Amino acid sequence: MRAIEPWVEPPLSAFLAESAARVTLLMTASGQVVAQHGFTRSLDVMAAAALGAGIVASTTELARVMGTATLGNAAHQGAAMGIFLSPFDTPRGRWIALVVYGPETSLGLVQLFFGRLVADLAGAAPPAPKSGPVLAENFEAELNASLRSLFGR
Amino acid sequence: MPLVNFTAREITCKLVYYGPGRCGKTTNLQYIHGRVPEHRRGNMVSLATQSDRTLFFDFLPLELGVISGFTTRFQLYTVPGQVYYNATRRLVLQGADGVVFVVDSQARRFDDNVESFQNLQENLLDQGIDVRQLPLVLQYNKQDLPQDLILNPAELDDAFNFRAVRSQPADALHGTGVFETLKALSGLVLERLAVRPPAS
Repeated sequence: MRAIEPWVEPPLSAFLAESAARVTLLMTASGQVVAQHGFTRSLDVMAAAALGAGIVASTTELARVMGTATLGNAAHQGAAMGIFLSPFDTPRGRWIALVVYGPETSLGLVQLFFGRLVADLAGAAPPAPKSGPVLAENFEAELNASLRSLFGR
Repeated sequence: MPLVNFTAREITCKLVYYGPGRCGKTTNLQYIHGRVPEHRRGNMVSLATQSDRTLFFDFLPLELGVISGFTTRFQLYTVPGQVYYNATRRLVLQGADGVVFVVDSQARRFDDNVESFQNLQENLLDQGIDVRQLPLVLQYNKQDLPQDLILNPAELDDAFNFRAVRSQPADALHGTGVFETLKALSGLVLERLAVRPPAS
């Protein structure tokens, strides 16, 4: 499991153990990864987050166009596994959960323990830290070297 | 602001390529995807129509390397350019840390560029973002076309560059200016996370 902030890990661990989900991804509404379990490549997790956030954003917009308050959660059931996608509010703003589960559990169990995850995260969130500079004043030399290496120049 | 993971010492930035339909936004990402080694990028995700026009977005994650001790990643997005896809453009623009506005340099596309640029400002304003506060780079694409068909960078600067931001002539199909555009925007975005030099 990888999480941006350590306080996310205990509630997410409990959710994984109880729901028996295979993959779980927590992201911001704009698709930035907050925590993940079950992915092997960090770049794949970013693609999954972008697509998950896109689905939620378009569903929310669809609800607005249709004059409905919200369309809530989305669930896709495949032959071998299912996907549960849900936006939820945290003290750090609106997040989205993407949960992939197999036949060893069910959508109902995932939803049940997801409700607890949302409550646990709300209870565990410390006050947001003040943001400040994180990069050195002369970061540009490293940035340019990284970009040159990326483009083979 | 870019997402900073202090525990894992990672920075993730969302960069959006914006502009009118067929200006070359997807071409920018395709060129980058083709040039960057596989272990430094993810798969390019394209949600496109059957005729390969962007329907929702293109997405390309890049791993830049370590900068000031932070592993830095960029998430590159494009928006659909066609006028009637504004709802999806707004969604993709959410949380953008910086924007490349890709201008189609062809003289006959001038009005489309203006409309798209105004649309960018409106969509940012809807999210409470003043375009003057957001890191922005203008890319004047298709500068390889015959001179009688296009506007030159000085003419395009007169029309679009009221903030005197970095503008970059480009031929995205062959890669000219693509690297420089990304370099300029990433510098502006990361600058916001950097220690400022003491005022003299």
